[in-house]
Amino acid sequence: MMIDGNHNPEDVTRVLFESFPGWAVGVFYVVGFGAIAVFLYGCFVQYRKYARGQSLRKVLPPLKDRLLQMVVSVGTHRTLRRRDRSAGYAHALIFFGFALLFIGTATITLEYDILAPLIGLKFWHGNFYLLFSLALDLAGLWLVAGLVYMMARRGWLKPPKLNYARPDRAADAPDANRSFYQFEDWAFLCLLIIIGITGFVLEGARLLWLQNTPTVWDYRWWSPVGAVVANALSLVGFTPEGAGSLRISIWWFHAIISLTFIALIPYSKAKHIFTAMSSLALRDPLPVQKLPPVDMSADTVGASKITDFNWKQLLNFDACTKCGRCHEACPANASGAPLSPRDLILTLRELAENTLEGIRQPEPEKLIAQGNGVFQVPTETLWACRTCAACVEICPVGIEHVPVIVEMRRALVEQGDMDPLVQKALQNIQKRGNSFGETKKKRPAWTKKLDFEIKDARTEAVDVLWFVGDFASFDPRYQRVSMDFARILKAANIDFGILYEDESNSGNDVRRVGEEGLYQHLAESNIALLNDCDFKRVVTTDPHSFNTIKNEYPEFGGNYDVEHASAFLARLLDEERIPLKKGLDGRRVTFHDPCHLGRYNKGYDGPRDAIRKLGADLVEMKRCRDNSFCCGAGGGRIWTPDPVGKEKPSENRVREAATIEGLETIVVSCPKCMNMLEDARKTTNNEDNFEIREVVELIAECLDDSAISVVAQEHVAEPA
Amino acid sequence: MKILVPVKQVEILDEDFDVQDDGRSIDPDCIEFELNEWDDYSWETALQLMEKHEGTVEAVPMTVGDESADDGLRKCLAKGGERAIRVWDDSVAGSDPIAIARLIAAAAKKEDAQLVLAGTQSTDQAHGQTGIAVAALLGWPHVAVVSALDYSAADGKLTVRRELEGGVEEEIEVALPAVLTIQLGINEPRYASLRGIKQAKTKTVDLLSPADLGVSTDQLGETGSAARVRRMYIPERSKAELITGTPPEQVKRLIEIVNELKGA
Ligand code: SF4
Ligand code: SF4
Repeated sequence: MMIDGNHNPEDVTRVLFESFPGWAVGVFYVVGFGAIAVFLYGCFVQYRKYARGQSLRKVLPPLKDRLLQMVVSVGTHRTLRRRDRSAGYAHALIFFGFALLFIGTATITLEYDILAPLIGLKFWHGNFYLLFSLALDLAGLWLVAGLVYMMARRGWLKPPKLNYARPDRAADAPDANRSFYQFEDWAFLCLLIIIGITGFVLEGARLLWLQNTPTVWDYRWWSPVGAVVANALSLVGFTPEGAGSLRISIWWFHAIISLTFIALIPYSKAKHIFTAMSSLALRDPLPVQKLPPVDMSADTVGASKITDFNWKQLLNFDACTKCGRCHEACPANASGAPLSPRDLILTLRELAENTLEGIRQPEPEKLIAQGNGVFQVPTETLWACRTCAACVEICPVGIEHVPVIVEMRRALVEQGDMDPLVQKALQNIQKRGNSFGETKKKRPAWTKKLDFEIKDARTEAVDVLWFVGDFASFDPRYQRVSMDFARILKAANIDFGILYEDESNSGNDVRRVGEEGLYQHLAESNIALLNDCDFKRVVTTDPHSFNTIKNEYPEFGGNYDVEHASAFLARLLDEERIPLKKGLDGRRVTFHDPCHLGRYNKGYDGPRDAIRKLGADLVEMKRCRDNSFCCGAGGGRIWTPDPVGKEKPSENRVREAATIEGLETIVVSCPKCMNMLEDARKTTNNEDNFEIREVVELIAECLDDSAISVVAQEHVAEPA
Repeated sequence: MKILVPVKQVEILDEDFDVQDDGRSIDPDCIEFELNEWDDYSWETALQLMEKHEGTVEAVPMTVGDESADDGLRKCLAKGGERAIRVWDDSVAGSDPIAIARLIAAAAKKEDAQLVLAGTQSTDQAHGQTGIAVAALLGWPHVAVVSALDYSAADGKLTVRRELEGGVEEEIEVALPAVLTIQLGINEPRYASLRGIKQAKTKTVDLLSPADLGVSTDQLGETGSAARVRRMYIPERSKAELITGTPPEQVKRLIEIVNELKGA
């Protein structure tokens, strides 16, 4: 029994406006309604801003699925705990503390202002009240504890990602400095902690004031923190009367500051309470895998003005909490390129704030998002992105940076504004269907070095249609992998064929560069070709082709069963269909996840299963699986050299691998990773330390029981 | 001001190609066409002038060629401009650069152009004559191999720069009308997106015959040309050889070669 028999249980409750003169209550309501009005107006301004964006062109999953996914994310704080556990837990304390306190206050309003006056229902007393009181006290404690940690983090731990240094501005640019955001961060933390602390002082003062009221004082330990404060107040000499007058002033202070906070929500960082949850509820399951469609007959393509973004993207910009997780994960940022996904989002947010929050929209020139001015994104920033999706993957509030970047690139492509080397690659693809500028005739030239013929899938039915891809066809190093893959398939008695001269570049990277017209042309011609062939499934060693065929070709009428070679081979190994003659004998290897296979398509396990099946000793790098660090080749960057004098992403990666003691091989599963890492192995002077090998090559090596590897044999056999 | 920009679809040879039986041309099956590299730069120059002096400068690309040359004009129009001109009939086949220049000069007059921006040369024939011949035929001043250019609409004058040997630059003021031939690297030509190229199909290409331009057929084709290709052939390969293989193999081959040269 919680209530002891001496009182009427009805009497155990909390005073609200006890001892307030009528006018004071009136003043409180006026201020309260004023705050709510300011809050609502702010919400309207935000709504109007989002409404100035475009409509969504991509169909999202049903709302209930997205809401469920959001509730789970927020409820478990899973996205917030990733790669920053303590901040995640501290945020959980603040969030749940705040949420409970909010619900508590709302409950009081519900009873006092709505149910009691209307239907005379009162529930806020007795046992319910006591439990309520305990819960809110604990909630307040969580809130304060979480805030204290956050303050310590900013004040003492100072993680570099929170200093808001911008890589995308010259040091003397007028907007080079974003440290003003730190002021906002501190103001936010301080305001909240003051609300929390004054709440406790108020509670303690009230308890002490009502010391002689048994329905209050006897139950004070149901508000443990308040009770401690009451005792402390009395220790420092407060009498009940003194506490009574302290209560009045603290009451007003607490009320005003809380109402101020509420009023400021839509105008400050606090709005992420709403924008982050909405952003999570609007998450697209395939934001980078399947880029947003384009209306090719429209007057303009892509986003060059802030109003060219859709309302969801405008809301995304407002959801960013500047946590810096994307900033830290971005390979472009890590290699000194003028790109930080966070700063990009913040620039666009600032542009939207400065142009779309007014009653009228300013003239179109003010809305331009791309350029070198304040609130504009420079061209170099846009071209620096490798569309590796590390930012999208880790953003705790579901911001989708890559489609934003690609939309802006689409506009640049339309204006013809791009690096000459990317132009060259695209022109080669326009003309010859491959980025190497080789004639179509040469695409299957690598097959001539095999001692058997590969079936022509254009004329014969096959089980497996192998989509080879540009790099696997033309890059001399990777041609050896293609030959090994062919040998393995033959050894495993797989009925397979290729498209010979008629295959074109799959278009994955062309689309990510923003050349949508060319992408659609490539997709359509490959699809027309594939639809004329007779096969059961498409297999490719190229994760880029794999991604676009799997996720983007369906939009253009190409629906196939597609598998990446690593998963396909892992399955064959599992079914013991590949006649292995030996294993790798505990060779010490590490695996570099290709973005387009891993993060894009969750193909983390195929290559690992295969590597383990061969008996290698797989040691993971610190950044692996979803946190894999891009080799730097994505998003068209394979066609432009990285600037000299700065560490390239691939070098950064190879150096990371080099810290593994006794490493013999870095295993890759992508032609572009192979190309980049091979290069970096040389430039970091690791040529004698370890090799870069494809999963395919490791398997091929085990087909043969001679001591010397297939690759090495080939070196000897083919002097030319 | 109207700018006429003569452009050319040049021949790109396959790695393996054959000379035709007539011994004077390449087997068309081994040829692909693309817009002359220099013309990307001259057209970009014209576009930039047009954008800078919006509304007062108009740029029109033109070409002399059969309908396959339309691709080059489309590529130009994909980047900007509203209309293009193509001049052709069978009498033009076999023309030398001077004969071609007659058509360009006539077009410049017909269009009332004040500026002709040609490429310095073409990647396939590399005569470097057409632009200069146009100037001679029109009796206009010309500046060749221009590496920078500035136009002042107020006094209708062009200031152009040329790079000379030894890192010296020369700045020249030219009065209009004039002919310039543009050097690579004067700007960064923009990219023509596939969408742009498709949309350019709706822009007009005026097809003119030499007669429309008032150029008589005896001034064109082989009859109207002072130069005539007599023979086209692949010169004998030089003796260079890349020595490959393991170091001992390489040494062996090297000794063989030395002995061969010694006549041993
Ligand atoms: S996709 Fe990769 S390179 Fe591009 S902004 Fe995101 S993290 Fe950086
Ligand atoms: S975009 Fe997302 S990950 Fe990046 S700083 Fe903002 S909230 Fe954090």
